[in-house]
Amino acid sequence: MINLQDIRDTARDLLAKNEVRAVIGYRRGSSGMLAEPVTITKPEQADELVWDPTCFHNLSRNLVEDRKALTRARQNPDLPIAIIAKGCDARSTAVLLQEHYFERKDVYIIGVSCEGTGVVDERKLAAKGIQATDSAFDGDDFVFTTAQGEQRIPAREVMADRCLECREPFPKEHNTALGENKTGRELEAPFTALKRFEEQDAATRWKFWEHQFDRCIRCYACRSVCPMCYCEECVVDSIRFPVSGQTSAEEKGNRIRWIERSAVHSENITYHMTRVLHLAGRCIDCNECERVCPVNIPLRLLNNKMEREAREQFGYEPGASIGGPSLTASFLDKDPGSFIR
Amino acid sequence: MSEPQAEVTTDYEPRIVAILCKWCSSAGSDLAGVSRIQYPANATPITVPCTGSVSPMYIMSAFKKGADGVLVSGCHIGDCHYIEGNFLARRKIHLVKELLGFIGVEPDRFRMSWVSAAEGAKYSQVIKDFVDDLKPLGPQLKLKADRS
Repeated sequence: MINLQDIRDTARDLLAKNEVRAVIGYRRGSSGMLAEPVTITKPEQADELVWDPTCFHNLSRNLVEDRKALTRARQNPDLPIAIIAKGCDARSTAVLLQEHYFERKDVYIIGVSCEGTGVVDERKLAAKGIQATDSAFDGDDFVFTTAQGEQRIPAREVMADRCLECREPFPKEHNTALGENKTGRELEAPFTALKRFEEQDAATRWKFWEHQFDRCIRCYACRSVCPMCYCEECVVDSIRFPVSGQTSAEEKGNRIRWIERSAVHSENITYHMTRVLHLAGRCIDCNECERVCPVNIPLRLLNNKMEREAREQFGYEPGASIGGPSLTASFLDKDPGSFIR
Repeated sequence: MSEPQAEVTTDYEPRIVAILCKWCSSAGSDLAGVSRIQYPANATPITVPCTGSVSPMYIMSAFKKGADGVLVSGCHIGDCHYIEGNFLARRKIHLVKELLGFIGVEPDRFRMSWVSAAEGAKYSQVIKDFVDDLKPLGPQLKLKADRS
């Protein structure tokens, strides 16, 4: 059982002893029971921090934002920034470290184990008709405070799919860790949702994806929330095309645009395919993209597909090794090649 | 979106974008030419320095612009001019192939082959087989951009 006071004490200590310059954590948000990410810089702010089933955000995204802000300000502080990391957040931080986005000494990981449960899926909760104002962990249950009083629900019923299938609820990469290591608790076999989907034939799958991609409105919420989408310029945007007074209309028209920004069928497919392939071997299944999608495109299926290929065909596990090579920059002699003529 | 109509007519000729590596497959296609080996004229070759340099964007882009099939061809494993380019390509292309199949695009529309500079006959065979496999599938409309 994670004690909230431990998290607050750890954060307060780190800030008071001047070991870190800030702590990225969760506080009570302004919209009902949901937590929201917060960056605190003073020890007395530590009491703002919360830890409950709505702490689903992947805070390593805030590490990326922090690094970008420092780069813009041309600063390179000596003190690291601390992050409160669940198993998945620690994995994505490990991928960022593997890609040298920042150095290990620049980040202090306060690992928090997800233990017997994970985080709540708002949609599953809404489907149950529960309108809560507060939530808490309690063993294998979630306890929600509603207008009718306290409601206790087995966590499995409203947990996010990725938490059910989580293989690593304990943050492996950490400076200090809170909670028990319950790795191997897999409540459902990994890739259960993916397997269920793949049992359908190709025509049905295409019909499904055609429908899903046509609904995409290209708001790029998936890109904005993804800790791995840190490129300064996304391939979709191509905004840095140098345009001067001498640039002719023809030159502007003929510049390479791999993907148009208009939300039409073919461009949506290309955008999502490209995103999935860019995340192959990097996506650690935090599933934030699917959570924030305003039209509920099941992006997790696509990312899971790549994750499973990497695991089964290439023996590669994203976020498992900071010093190791990345998926697409390495190879093995025994990589599958039977599809090649 | 309208259903992709699979109107298979006898005079339908699939358009293939063949992404060939400069050192092997491109030279292999040259050899097929100078050896006067007859093979279908459906393939539009694009020479790249190495299959390892083939970004999945090239493949998606070709399909988007209306290719009925895309072929990526390079040196045999161990023969890469850049030592390991085709090893890297093998991984990347595997992922692209799996992903296209996953969303329901016919797996036969995308193909990879190893053709060395001495294998003009093999190149012509690869193109022949590809055309034969593509003909029954009809035009590729799933990923094609609607330019109307």
